[in-house]
Amino acid sequence: MFGRRNGKKGNYAYTVARVKAKKSLLMSEEDYSKMLMMTVPEISRYISETGYSKEMTDLAGRLSGLDLLEHATYLNMAKVFGSILSSSTGELHDMVSAYLGKWDIWNLKVILRGKSYGLDAEGIREDLVPAGSLSAESLDKLISLDTEEDIIANFGKMTHVSISTEAMSAYKADGNLGMIEDFLDKVQYERLIQSIDPSSRPSRLFLDYVKEEVDIKNFETILKLKAEGIHGEQVMKYLIAGGRRIDDRLLTLLANAESIESVMSEVSQFEFYEEIKDALESNNLRDAVAGLKKYKIQKAKKFSHLYPLSVVPVIDYMIHKENEVRNIRIIARGTESGLGRETIKELLVI
Amino acid sequence: MAIEGDVGSGLIAIGAGLAVGLTGLGAGMAEKDVGAAAVGAITEDPSIFGKAMIFMVLPETIVIFGLVIAIMGIFVM
Repeated sequence: MFGRRNGKKGNYAYTVARVKAKKSLLMSEEDYSKMLMMTVPEISRYISETGYSKEMTDLAGRLSGLDLLEHATYLNMAKVFGSILSSSTGELHDMVSAYLGKWDIWNLKVILRGKSYGLDAEGIREDLVPAGSLSAESLDKLISLDTEEDIIANFGKMTHVSISTEAMSAYKADGNLGMIEDFLDKVQYERLIQSIDPSSRPSRLFLDYVKEEVDIKNFETILKLKAEGIHGEQVMKYLIAGGRRIDDRLLTLLANAESIESVMSEVSQFEFYEEIKDALESNNLRDAVAGLKKYKIQKAKKFSHLYPLSVVPVIDYMIHKENEVRNIRIIARGTESGLGRETIKELLVI
Repeated sequence: MAIEGDVGSGLIAIGAGLAVGLTGLGAGMAEKDVGAAAVGAITEDPSIFGKAMIFMVLPETIVIFGLVIAIMGIFVM
């Protein structure tokens, strides 16, 4: 009667109120404009005053400059996501956990890369983002293993992700992690889509949103590969199945096209076309990718306003938080490497 | 034990009970989400306790309407 089906329904009101309060503390366009005028130490101090103070203080003894800023922002994001995960219950918890699974994949990639470059355990640990479902202890266990095969096998046991034999044998043949990483990127979305049970309305909304994200990701991949002059089967290898509007037929069509101009009639029907129209016409890949990111954020915002008591506002917040961390890093890195303010500003997604 | 009084006053008593009971249930259902959201918001920012409390008690007004109807039923009709 009260919608408590076996106690599995999530605590939407509580969690959504919390993330909305957190979202109000995110940085605004004005904050980014201020940071664009600053040097790296000034940016560090500025973000210390806007929610990252604890992490900045914790890490200040070991790190400094750009390293401190990057690690503190990632650590803060991991903590925030962890607190959302621990405060949600029922199906909401399951959906948030499935979405955060991408950070487990990210961490596995960091560990594999670290190991292949001979980094020590401490060095690898510093680059991890423990925002996924794997605890710090599980990640430590993975780091302590010697060979990449062991790491992959143990990760498979912890998260039930098994690497395809094709990717594994390609890695064994030439020691290149590329195939494994590409496989992990694909599997992360496919698993997420499979793990959502579309029987209830909130989970159907979540599924729609994730599928939309797959569409954007695929289109971005196609644009990037087209810019490199790659098409046909080579492109298909990198695409993720299960998109919302771009189905297999369209994917094949886009992948086989010589250039994006030749399939403009198909592309112009996509919802995100308006956002990237100018960039496509002027052949500006950077602006097109930024446009897609902007569209993704707007879409999440729209979904979250339409269905306030669902998982979407929570995902919307997580996307915004990730975007904030990325923006801070772009500004800091850009400033450090002497990029012009206008160039950095164009790279930001606000 | 013999029950005294006519059928009419019995029906009024049942009506008054339903008015208070059903509005109480309604208020409870409304407060479930409002309360959870209020606690969530206070966890993030304790300074909004006062505002959250006001939103929390707003659904209580439904019970007051029910109570008024119940009193009117018993004493006025």
